[in-house]
Amino acid sequence: MSAPTSYWGLMFRFIFRRLVVMPFLLFGIVTISFAISRFIPSDPLISIVGERQLNNPVVVAAAKQRWGLDKSMFGQYSSYMGNLVKGDLGISFRTKTPVVGDLIDRLPATFELAFTAMFFGTVGGVLLGVLAASRRNKFADHVSRLFALVGSSLPVFWLGLVVLYVFYARLGLMPGPGRLPPRVDSPEHITGFYLFDAMLTGNFSLVWPILQRLLLPAFALGWGLMGIISRLVRSSMLDELQADYVRTARAKGLTERIVFLKHALRNALLPVLTVSGFSIASLLTGAVLTETIFSWNGVGSYAVAATRSLDYPAINGVCILGGMIFLISNLVTDVLYAYADPKIRLQ
Amino acid sequence: MKNLNHGLVKRKKRGRLAIAGVALATLVIASCGGSSSSSTDTDSSARELIVARDMDINSLDPSRTYCDTCQIYMAATYETLIGLDVNDPSIQIPRIATTWEANADNTVFTFALNSDAKFSDGSSITSADVKWSWERLMNIKGSASYFLDGVSSLEAPDDATVVVTFAAPNSAFLAIVSSTYMSIVNSKVASEEGNAIAASGADTTDLAEQWFFTNSAGSGPYTLESYTEGDSLVLVRNENYWGTPAVFPKVTIKQVKDASAQLQLLQNGDADIAMQLSFDSISQLDGNASVVATPKDSYNYVYIALSPGAKGAENLKDPKVREAIKLAIDYDGMIDITVAGNGKKQASPIPNGFTGSADLALPAQDIEKAKALMAEAGKESGFSIDAIFPNANVYGVDFNVMMQKAQQDLKAINIELVLQPVEWAKWSETIKAQGIPITAVYFAPDHTDSSQYVQYFGMIEGSSWAKRAGGGAAGTPVSNPTEKDLLAKALAAGSDAKAGLYTQLGQELINDLVILPMVNPQLVIANASDIEGMHYSACCNLELGKLTLKK
Repeated sequence: MSAPTSYWGLMFRFIFRRLVVMPFLLFGIVTISFAISRFIPSDPLISIVGERQLNNPVVVAAAKQRWGLDKSMFGQYSSYMGNLVKGDLGISFRTKTPVVGDLIDRLPATFELAFTAMFFGTVGGVLLGVLAASRRNKFADHVSRLFALVGSSLPVFWLGLVVLYVFYARLGLMPGPGRLPPRVDSPEHITGFYLFDAMLTGNFSLVWPILQRLLLPAFALGWGLMGIISRLVRSSMLDELQADYVRTARAKGLTERIVFLKHALRNALLPVLTVSGFSIASLLTGAVLTETIFSWNGVGSYAVAATRSLDYPAINGVCILGGMIFLISNLVTDVLYAYADPKIRLQ
Repeated sequence: MKNLNHGLVKRKKRGRLAIAGVALATLVIASCGGSSSSSTDTDSSARELIVARDMDINSLDPSRTYCDTCQIYMAATYETLIGLDVNDPSIQIPRIATTWEANADNTVFTFALNSDAKFSDGSSITSADVKWSWERLMNIKGSASYFLDGVSSLEAPDDATVVVTFAAPNSAFLAIVSSTYMSIVNSKVASEEGNAIAASGADTTDLAEQWFFTNSAGSGPYTLESYTEGDSLVLVRNENYWGTPAVFPKVTIKQVKDASAQLQLLQNGDADIAMQLSFDSISQLDGNASVVATPKDSYNYVYIALSPGAKGAENLKDPKVREAIKLAIDYDGMIDITVAGNGKKQASPIPNGFTGSADLALPAQDIEKAKALMAEAGKESGFSIDAIFPNANVYGVDFNVMMQKAQQDLKAINIELVLQPVEWAKWSETIKAQGIPITAVYFAPDHTDSSQYVQYFGMIEGSSWAKRAGGGAAGTPVSNPTEKDLLAKALAAGSDAKAGLYTQLGQELINDLVILPMVNPQLVIANASDIEGMHYSACCNLELGKLTLKK
């Protein structure tokens, strides 16, 4: 059978190859995270039985047996991998509930935050970049670049604390931490995305409170991306505006607006696509800190708690999830990039 | 050109419109933003109570719970046979049991149950439920199972009587019974619906823990509505409660990790109670008429532990060196720097307010005496020693700050503390593997009897800190057989004799020079000013069923 030569054939083969390799990569990720968490000189028992009972032989023996910690390292690994192929990520030492369930429960919160941050970062970054490029070396350009610098240089946890303090505690303009107002019940669970669930269940009175509470953490998280994208767009736009085709477009009498937005910006957006795609991973890792500050019950705060208490099953589960997200987001980015730029070869 | 100018004019107009749009949006957000509080209830008895707290829940299974928030939960949804007076924890009050008695040598305890006591499903509480609950606690082998160590039999001769027999005297048992970890579970509901098992082997066969995350099976003023880990714990009023009904129909404990975030929620009316505010927040609440913040004495404390048997702790084997360390610490300064003066000194590992703490001399700094002791020990030139401690902030005390203060103080006697803050898991591994010469930990009581402190801190065989410090047995760097004898006497003694015995035990613990209490911090309890009955409870932290509203 000859190799596909059509575009969609090539695309299909490209995606298929990446999907086939994915399980092996995940296997490697699981093995490495398992090894690292087991071999660091730390004792998970303290989070299971408490400091007071660490020297109680009856309690410790029962805990070790319950959580499989009385087995050899290889025995624990075999057990874990045997369950993993059945889709069982184990029971969290800390929450005492299945890790799969814990992650599924928390994923919507993190995605809601990360995608909103990505929206802010991308749209805001493009707008700022366009503004800066169109007002080059003028006041708006300087302000825009300063804004970008602040966002991309300062740590996200500091930004989060500051915006919370300024806009919630001092000015009272924005609501406080948490996905919902304290005295409000969550919408009926359908997707776990509160915004969608509120709309799908017709609970429209919840939509605005949910959006409000999403704004600050998403802004704090997306500010860094906004900074990167705005500088990228500005730089790309300025390059494109020097290109021959722009000169031609202007000579043909097209308005500056059309030249800017329809021609130059379109080409300047290609690198933005790449950065946005790769930013998923950094937004998710940034969400770890943002979730802690804004009491956002997502995968990030779960990962922090798991790491601090050496919750082996949860740590491995988060690593697998992170690996899958990273691999899939890279695949999607590559596919979109190939679709957007015909010059990209899939072979 | 003409087109460009036209374009420029249009751009400027659009620019102004955009600015106006952003300004309008900001105004709309601002008008809707800020405190989303509370529905301003006209009927205050219908108000939901919101508690902001960093929850440390390890389980909601009554036989597995072992944490501060767990005590609050258990006291709300379950009940014990005996309760404690909120204002004086030495006074025991009837709860599920109407009367109780111990025999002369504190080996047999008999409880008579209240026939009016009912579970939340309306069924009566019987001795079978008590037996089942305590057997399950023993057999699950969770962290609180040690409460029933030494039980030789647990009998329910009739529906209203429970008889517990110990192999050896145990005068602590009545105090232990009042601990929330000894709560009584609806055995029928838990076993039929939750598949909970109480029999021997339950540690490997029982799978009810997950059922308890969505169900409570108690007799308390509240029942569990829902628990979302990392988010909230929601309780609703038990409408079948056999005692005085709770005032608040619903209580939500919201997970809020940060003390400053708790403060902000309280100030904005988004929370009614904040349980872990920092000490500087008291001044921030001055002038806020809608909030009351009161520091309350607690029985919790943080301490520094010296382990002469640990690797690298050879210099600590000489008790003169350990005493010099104790005398070099500036305890008043320690309280100022860690808790802004909102704490007390404590004489021995038996906390202020517990039996045996009253007549002991409080620690005081004496640098000259410390130097003299170091000289007598031949360590005048000093030494360097590792101080590995958890990177934690417990009860408002930042361990990093505390150890830095200790480091500074010990320089006066030429001891250099090499500070190494680590995560709890690493601390646990290190102390298990090789011991830690100097470390910092905390203690909060599991129940209200002083025996727990001797059993945990005494330099006697089997004690946790004897093992960690490399002591306990004869021939080890630190052992104190007097403590073992005194403890046996205290456990066999009646209440009149206990105080004197525990005072002696307190002095022996001081003489061990292993556990050096640093600060007994107060707790800042802050609440909306219309809430009454706020307290700190020795058994339960906070009994939600006792809170009311000002009329």
